[in-house]
Amino acid sequence: MTDPIRDEWYPVAMVSQLHREDRDTLLLGEAIHVTLRDGQPMVTASSRVLPSQARYGHVWTSLGAPARPLFDIPEADQPGRRLVDVGLVRVKCSPLRAVENFLDIAHFPFVHTDILGAEPHTEVGRYDVAIRDEVDEVWATKVQFYQPQAAKSAAGGITTEYMYRVPAPTVSVLYKTCPPRPDEWDVITLFVQPLTETLCEVWPWMALFDDTTSLTDLIHFQQTIFLQDRSILENQQPSLLPLDPGLEIPTRADLTSVAYRRWLKRRGYSYGAQLVAA
Amino acid sequence: MSAAWTPVALSRDLPRLGVMPVCVDGMDVALWRSASGRVAAWADRCPHRGMRLSHGFVRGEALSCIYHGWSYGAEGHCLRIPAHPDLAPPDAIRVPVFHATEADGVVWVAPQAPDAMPPTIEGSALRSLTVEAAVDWDAVAFSVSGPVARGTLSGVAVTILVQPLPNGRYALHALTEATASPSVLTEVSRGLEALRRQAEGVFA
Amino acid sequence: MAVEHFIIAGDLAADSFLPWITRHMQRLGLRGVPVRRADGQVEITLSGPPDLIDAMELGVSLGPIDVWVEAIGRRRLENGEVS
Repeated sequence: MTDPIRDEWYPVAMVSQLHREDRDTLLLGEAIHVTLRDGQPMVTASSRVLPSQARYGHVWTSLGAPARPLFDIPEADQPGRRLVDVGLVRVKCSPLRAVENFLDIAHFPFVHTDILGAEPHTEVGRYDVAIRDEVDEVWATKVQFYQPQAAKSAAGGITTEYMYRVPAPTVSVLYKTCPPRPDEWDVITLFVQPLTETLCEVWPWMALFDDTTSLTDLIHFQQTIFLQDRSILENQQPSLLPLDPGLEIPTRADLTSVAYRRWLKRRGYSYGAQLVAA
Repeated sequence: MSAAWTPVALSRDLPRLGVMPVCVDGMDVALWRSASGRVAAWADRCPHRGMRLSHGFVRGEALSCIYHGWSYGAEGHCLRIPAHPDLAPPDAIRVPVFHATEADGVVWVAPQAPDAMPPTIEGSALRSLTVEAAVDWDAVAFSVSGPVARGTLSGVAVTILVQPLPNGRYALHALTEATASPSVLTEVSRGLEALRRQAEGVFA
Repeated sequence: MAVEHFIIAGDLAADSFLPWITRHMQRLGLRGVPVRRADGQVEITLSGPPDLIDAMELGVSLGPIDVWVEAIGRRRLENGEVS
């Protein structure tokens, strides 16, 4: 019997931080301990040793028996990319709300004003969204948006193209136009650790072609964005993500959000979700 | 739903283009003032994706949600959806609207249309403060009529409007004689804080 | 103003579905009456602005929790055409 919630892989620590100290934290409401043993991650819940692995700068674990390997981000192994651990932002919201917000572009002009968007460039054009059955992932492609400063390496406004991918219920991967390398995509991920149904820790991670911006500036840029998002996420009602949109008004600009919720519903992924609109 | 007025703020604490969260009968309300000075009280939730409207922004006579910029006009109806600039939003997309009125420097809100206007209040606005427990008005010789408590602090006539908040907390909106001098007002303000400490059982 | 015919397919047996559709339509200011067909599929002819008909498709594709909408077939009706 598989468990759609416990059998998933979840991020629970940044590997680089474990070199300094162990981490006691929560996963799906259960206390876990994360440490390094001979350079390899070890995660325990009570005295039980959980499956674990280090990948994309973070430690991944599962409370159940994962049926699938951890999703692949091929760009992580591509030569020339800078891999950036951004660190942790704790948010008092459902882990699913954090992912949903990351998939949203219509909020850029209002929440990330003059950085990722600006009025009057508010229109969201048509884009494609699909659940790719062969990999069981949500993909949004051909997403375009005008941005005053799309990335730390972008000087001035450009129309940025995006792709969004949800490879696991609490993970989202964003591919965006890479100003110095027009034929490549910058990769920015959001790894979300579900502490409880209404509390999460968010670990952004990046794989970029950017040799010029200082690490401090890269991290500061992303942290600014996530702190702006936090003020939204902690003030949405209900705090759980509704899988029934009966008290909301999704429009075509919310297509990725609706596809994500549909995908969660089909998988029976209810942790952090509200099943009946109320 | 109650048909009584609840005092929610002193008028001077809600400037033009200002928006703030308040609580009425246990419901979250976004209270805001338009460019022309009109006060409105709405359900504190954007119908689009549930964001609190009290985090929003006011332009002209409209309140906009900070999340996706959906803006709503005087009657709570949606005026504009920025992601779909060519769409004229239907009348059906609306934020639930409460009754709001302003008199004697106080803003009052009611979920249902009350039969009468709010009580007449004398004096000029001093300050609002939050108390973690109920005040024993008898113990401080104040007389109470509905949400209005009247008495004296530091020898000055004071009117205190009581707004119930969730979890046994209260907001107190205080007004004093208009003629009181600044130093006397400082004394009255200290008296209010003493009242709060007494209610909360803190004696320091 | 556009008129469109939706055919909704999936696991739609729950009694909650038709009233849910009607409520969501009213929230969008759209007009139409959902009908359950003998084969279990649900159809509606909707009229309203195109962006809101898109919004209706999106809302219905998620639907209430006891329903699974597999697909929505849409067909635009010309003036005077009857579905």
